[in-house]
Amino acid sequence: MSRILADIKGFGRQYLRSKVGAFFTFAFPILLILLFGAIYSASGNQKVSLPVQNLDGSPFSVAYLNELNNTTLVNIKMIPADANITNYINDNSLSLALQIPANFGSKIAGGLGSNYTGPVLVTVYGDRSQSTFGTAVAAVEAASVSYNYNLSRTLPLVAPGVQDLKEGYKFLDYFLPGVVGITVMTNSLFSMSSICAEYRQRGFFKLLATTSLRKYEWLISKFVFFSIILVLSLLTTFAVASVVFGTHSTITLLSLVMIPAGTFLFVSLGMLLGVGIKDPESGAAVANAIGFPMMFLSGSFFPLDMMPNFLQAIATALPLTYFNNGLRDTMVYGNTGSAIANLLVVVAIGFIFFLLASRLMSWKER
Amino acid sequence: MSEGLIQVEGLSKHYPPNVKAVDDISFTIQPRQIFSMLGPNGAGKTTTVEILEGLRTPTSGTATIFGVDVTKDYSSLRDRVGILPQSFEPFDNLKPTEAVQYWAGLYDIKMTKSQVNSLLERVDLTERKSVISRSLSGGEKRKLGIALSLINEPELLFLDEPTTGLDPKARRDLWRLIEEIRKKGTTVFLTTHYLDEAEKLADDVAIMHKGKIVARGSPRDLIARYGKMTVIVLSGAGSEALREIRRRGIEATEENGDVLVPVKDPTEMRAIFQKISGIELHAKDIYTRRQSLEDVFLNLVGAKMDEGDLKP
Repeated sequence: MSRILADIKGFGRQYLRSKVGAFFTFAFPILLILLFGAIYSASGNQKVSLPVQNLDGSPFSVAYLNELNNTTLVNIKMIPADANITNYINDNSLSLALQIPANFGSKIAGGLGSNYTGPVLVTVYGDRSQSTFGTAVAAVEAASVSYNYNLSRTLPLVAPGVQDLKEGYKFLDYFLPGVVGITVMTNSLFSMSSICAEYRQRGFFKLLATTSLRKYEWLISKFVFFSIILVLSLLTTFAVASVVFGTHSTITLLSLVMIPAGTFLFVSLGMLLGVGIKDPESGAAVANAIGFPMMFLSGSFFPLDMMPNFLQAIATALPLTYFNNGLRDTMVYGNTGSAIANLLVVVAIGFIFFLLASRLMSWKER
Repeated sequence: MSEGLIQVEGLSKHYPPNVKAVDDISFTIQPRQIFSMLGPNGAGKTTTVEILEGLRTPTSGTATIFGVDVTKDYSSLRDRVGILPQSFEPFDNLKPTEAVQYWAGLYDIKMTKSQVNSLLERVDLTERKSVISRSLSGGEKRKLGIALSLINEPELLFLDEPTTGLDPKARRDLWRLIEEIRKKGTTVFLTTHYLDEAEKLADDVAIMHKGKIVARGSPRDLIARYGKMTVIVLSGAGSEALREIRRRGIEATEENGDVLVPVKDPTEMRAIFQKISGIELHAKDIYTRRQSLEDVFLNLVGAKMDEGDLKP
């Protein structure tokens, strides 16, 4: 026990004095929260800029533009009526535009009388792959529905109602557990694979082998050290998110258990990767090759159901997915049962990695 | 032969397909001596030492320290053995005081602040004890390494090429330290490729080449057996003088413009000088040089050693 404590103290001093260690433990998650918090806290109130070319100019089209403006989803900017719209879009590098045709007023007037020949089409120009396109189309559809009601003087019989599942919760509340997941993975996995490679290259393993410290004691000391600093990192990150952005997700007892469990998993995986790595550069490359895709495919930055089915299938094979899900279950949804199930998966995978790493890792030469 | 502190019998370490890093060596080391294993890079010194340190498994043979088989029960020796590995580098972000405390903890040893300071004073690191290790010089890092290897007050200390890559002053400082350690009763197993280091420090030398021990004895014995004892050096005399000397039946060689005349028997010295004095020489200086382990090594291996590499 005293050897484990000595190693925690000695290793901890070295790790926290290295700029890389201190950055990835404390500065990195806070930086992520501040950046994403700033981006997403503004996006809720942002309107999409929608350039409109009105080729009609009748009171009908002016009324339609008023309906469009009332949606509060778009900022309307006018395109000169005499401009060629495709040239104008290219010349001004626009990603969106709306064109009201020249026969807008006359066709509506005809339809209101006895000469209905079908709806008049307003055309949205844009790129379907961009999120602003969806917002613009939704605004045009909403304006068209409302305009049709008003002209035909019918009363709406069905209207959508919205109820927040988590009153006051923001995107950042869902994002925060993902940041914690990334921080735990980055510190444990990336550090351990590099440390193993560096210790082998610089002969530290041989040096340790000559002391009374046992291999399992060294592994335990790394697990305990990273668990402690990552819990501190979690508390710091939450404090910053709460003070700066007023987040509502909570640090539960289970989340404090999840951190050591995730640390155990990724420290063990890092050691397993470190078994065959000879130098720190290769260690960083291998850890990045495994950790980087995992970061994006495990629901750290965005929900898994946004991804195609085949990527969702891959996500189920990634340990970070269960760690992220477990953290969200307990910190955001308050679903303790599901969080415990995810916790057990994390511990089980970690145990397999730990057994493999401690069996395959050798401090001595063959 | 009396039972030694270290006893090695028929020790071999082979690597596939056909590399014999250590090839059937046997030796015994007596306590309270500095034993030096001398040889060029790749001779098998470090492999031998690492087998004795329990870090490698031999292909065949036995090795015991204090009567304990190192391949079976090295852990029981940990408290009695200190080790400075080859190319030792301390942990970058620890101060020497912290490194000593850390290392003591790994041996389950509690050291007071004054004990830590006293150990660092012993290796002459008092003034640098609070500097982050990455800022220490090469010599200071090795001194710290020796301090770490002395934490458990070992009876046997392995120093694997402790002065490689250091400047002359740092080497001399470490030599002083190693001599002091021996004076306190610790047996030192020193591997080196510096002939002057072995000659200066060692009581007992084993010259290793291609995995085998090719000579063994004290530096004086080895020089007596394999050297040519004394050489008369005619500095800057050149090839013309060499021809004249040889014409008079005197054995001589030329090295970098100097003419070297070996004197195998000291009683012949006067006669050789008389013969040489009859020749008109244009030498800058004439002096005698006692032969060293360098000459022994050249005679045994047929090549000189420069920073551990063999030069023809």
